[in-house]
Amino acid sequence: MKPDQVATAITQALVQGGAQWLVATIVAFLPALWTMTLILHLGRPYVLRTLRRCGLRLGADIWWMSYLLMRDAVLLLTFALSWIFFAPNIVMNAALPITGPLAALCLLIALAVKLSRRVDDDVQAYRLATTFLVVGATLYYGALVFAVEAASQDYLAGFGQFFTSNMNPTVALWIMWISLAGVAIVAGWLFVRLLASANRTMASRLSTQQVRPTTEQTSAVQ
Amino acid sequence: MNTDQLTQAIISGISAGGEQFLEGTLAAMLPIVWLAILGLQLGQPYILDMINRFTLRLGADLLWLVYVALRDLLIVSGVVMSFMFFFPDVVVTDALPLTGGLAAACLFGVLLVKLMGDPDHNLRDFRIAISLLGLGSLFYFVPYVLGVQFNISFLVTNTNQGWAVALAYVSIALLAIMGAIAAWYALRTGGRAEVQEPASGQ
Repeated sequence: MKPDQVATAITQALVQGGAQWLVATIVAFLPALWTMTLILHLGRPYVLRTLRRCGLRLGADIWWMSYLLMRDAVLLLTFALSWIFFAPNIVMNAALPITGPLAALCLLIALAVKLSRRVDDDVQAYRLATTFLVVGATLYYGALVFAVEAASQDYLAGFGQFFTSNMNPTVALWIMWISLAGVAIVAGWLFVRLLASANRTMASRLSTQQVRPTTEQTSAVQ
Repeated sequence: MNTDQLTQAIISGISAGGEQFLEGTLAAMLPIVWLAILGLQLGQPYILDMINRFTLRLGADLLWLVYVALRDLLIVSGVVMSFMFFFPDVVVTDALPLTGGLAAACLFGVLLVKLMGDPDHNLRDFRIAISLLGLGSLFYFVPYVLGVQFNISFLVTNTNQGWAVALAYVSIALLAIMGAIAAWYALRTGGRAEVQEPASGQ
């Protein structure tokens, strides 16, 4: 082989191999993120118990704020990284859990419940979000552990072939399209809801301003 | 060998090497995480003693919250990083401590005790949590030191594949049961802290 050919091979390999490695890394980190999501969501009673013992309001606020930020950021990040389950080429070519898109849909519904209802005050809303998270995690872990990560186990070969996306691309693509439609519906509903809420808030603010004429601003430092 | 073959060979090398590097890094970090967890848990009397010496309530509150957050986040990280012990392909391929999955299950058990009980204020719960931590550290460090580092092949997953896969399934079953209990508890309580405050005498 000539040096040019070797250089071309290395360049192509870095581009293609880098892309594959990136997808593989996301796939490898998703179980960690799913576990963090579940632990942080289910650990709420423990966080509340610790919060109750804070003597000062400041400590309690910092504790609760850190918990909320971490819990919801991890939830959002898990959904964002789950987007690889909605890329048809990756679904057909990479070994992914076939139920990954359904798990991502459950995650989005849990997020939607959080956005539309006060999960931290409403017990029923918390239960609903928990149910969607647990169902999503079960769909994800089951296929991942016993199919994608158990290719070496002969007695799980049938299960593995059915639940691994690149071994069963037809079913995998159907599940992906159905889940994508679900994601579109939930996202559309969230968008319409946000728009209606913004309109309502804006209208009430405008009407308040019309009723109360703007007073002249006085400077703070005279 | 032509260009395509060389490209494919390098791609395979990058993918397989990257995966093994990731798993190797996690495996190398886990003993440090375990030691930090043990250190923080065993250092609780020292922290409490220091809190008693604070003259300002704010400082005491912040020290306790930072301590609790660090300690519990490390336990969560330990569980998350131990996830590779539950993948049959990984335990068959990589040289990992044989009972690492059981150690992860013990760590998850500690989290479950913290969720359903109150180890920071209830002696019985504290004993259960510390016992699970001790058991988990034995499950992790004995096969890690004697097996992975001292080459006793029975204690290493890729040289004792039958046991490794069986123990991975046992660990998965334990984790699934404890996860189901945690989910049931969260559904029942609706996310509220329902453990009764201990009486002042305790």
